[in-house]
Amino acid sequence: MLSLAPNADVSAAETPLVSAADVQKTYFTRQSPIHAVASASLDVARGEFVSLLGPSGCGKSTLLMMIAGLERPTAGSIMLAGKPVAAPRRDIGIIFQDATLLPWKSTLENVLFPIRILRLPIEKYRDRAHSLIKMVGLAGFEHKKPGELSGGMRQRVAICRALIHDPEILLMDEPFSALDAITRDQMNVALSEILETYRKTVIFVTHSIREAAFLSDRVVVMGGRPSTIILDMKMPFPRPRRFEVEETQEFAQVCRQLRLTIEAAHGHGQNSDREPVKQDPGKATSAAVSIIE
Amino acid sequence: MAKATIGTETGAALPASGASRFQGAASLSSIVLPLGLAFIVLAAWQLYVTIWQVPSVILPSPVSIAKYIVARYDILLMHAVPTTLESAAGFLFALLLGVAIAIVITYSDMAREALYPNLIFFQLIPKIALAPLFIIWLGVGSQSRIAFSVFIAFFPVVIATTAGFLSVDRGILRLCRSLTATEWQVFTSVRFPMALPHIFSGMKIAITLAIIGVIIGEFITAQAGLGYLIIFATARADTEVSMAAIVVLCICGLLLYGLVALAETVANRFYSADSR
Repeated sequence: MLSLAPNADVSAAETPLVSAADVQKTYFTRQSPIHAVASASLDVARGEFVSLLGPSGCGKSTLLMMIAGLERPTAGSIMLAGKPVAAPRRDIGIIFQDATLLPWKSTLENVLFPIRILRLPIEKYRDRAHSLIKMVGLAGFEHKKPGELSGGMRQRVAICRALIHDPEILLMDEPFSALDAITRDQMNVALSEILETYRKTVIFVTHSIREAAFLSDRVVVMGGRPSTIILDMKMPFPRPRRFEVEETQEFAQVCRQLRLTIEAAHGHGQNSDREPVKQDPGKATSAAVSIIE
Repeated sequence: MAKATIGTETGAALPASGASRFQGAASLSSIVLPLGLAFIVLAAWQLYVTIWQVPSVILPSPVSIAKYIVARYDILLMHAVPTTLESAAGFLFALLLGVAIAIVITYSDMAREALYPNLIFFQLIPKIALAPLFIIWLGVGSQSRIAFSVFIAFFPVVIATTAGFLSVDRGILRLCRSLTATEWQVFTSVRFPMALPHIFSGMKIAITLAIIGVIIGEFITAQAGLGYLIIFATARADTEVSMAAIVVLCICGLLLYGLVALAETVANRFYSADSR
């Protein structure tokens, strides 16, 4: 028995927590089928932070929703902790672009909402809710309603809500893209601090190159039309990360490489139906600017 | 403030604290101004009747109406009770029926497609014209008046409640789905509280319509009730009595409306309260 334990550990470490194999998603409309995701294969290890990066409409959110069990893949399989994903599961925490809080409930009650839905004992999670709220810097706002909070604060509440039932995996769908640039930077730092305390496996969808590079262990670039995974790149920056990382030469180079990859795919992907000019520098720059914002 | 809390979109901020500084002054003027205006109108009425010596059959003075109400409150009360009770009953049935139809419309596409156009068409019927038929169908008792009251009052509840149920943020529904929430959980913890402000605005329209329904019923056939009293007094050219009955009717309506508003406050408090 004793000899088996380390083996089991090794296999657990080696088996990816999330494993998507040749996943496809096609929406059938009246005119013609739309291939949201042509083919995507992705492994995410336990505790890893992986960003799905790409321009709007590249199917990254669709892939995330399929991992969440909110959408069914047309083909391919998604395994989560060794089991196929067929429907939504309780061990997932999701954060959407909007905070989607209940407007009549206080911060504390919104954070406890999943506990109610999952019919878990509220009393056991009350302390955890308070410490999460404190962790994200909302101490003193426990009894405020969402209408009294700023956009950034509401998204912090949503993060607490996603973490309250201690899910194995955190899925974030462009969580900060509705926030202003300054708040967004603050939220990025806040998120990496939160994850230092509450270690989670995270899949993070974004169209901001900087955000993806700053937060992730790995950045997966999606693009082209029909959309596929075109780059899977490890982020070499040490943790814990703070703003200063973004000022390094290395960070700039990584961002540049990600940008060029997206541009290349963008060139013969989204623009293909217009004109096949690939190396027009002016066009490439404007495309890159629109991606970086 | 509780009124504003429920149903405010996540983006909408509550009144800022700066506004509360003027709240004392605002609430004072919100009492003084309407009362002042009412007083001026009544005084002008009284003056007009006194100066031109308008006969009481044409237009009794406010003072004489008030005197009649004070002197014969027993008769007025006797007639007010059935009208108020029947209105309340009509309103409650209209509420139940309206919410039930709204639930069916919300959850069944087929029912929505079948029901909705017919409901609108139904709405276009001049419903007052149907009041005599209710007497034929249900007799001269209070059941026909209550039924007519329900018939006239349920529609705004259906419209408002359906709008409320369908106003739920799709993101919140997706969140519920990701948490494996049952349809019942979604209804009780999201859809229903989300729809409450809509339901209450529908209820506020319904309560006034319910009273109208009962009064019309009483106009047609009744042995008691304020509508009966109005018709009876008018037939005898006793304008003072019928005016007094109208005043009492307003008070009864205000009372019922107040109860709805109170229920709204209680419901808001219940849903926005933190659990202990």
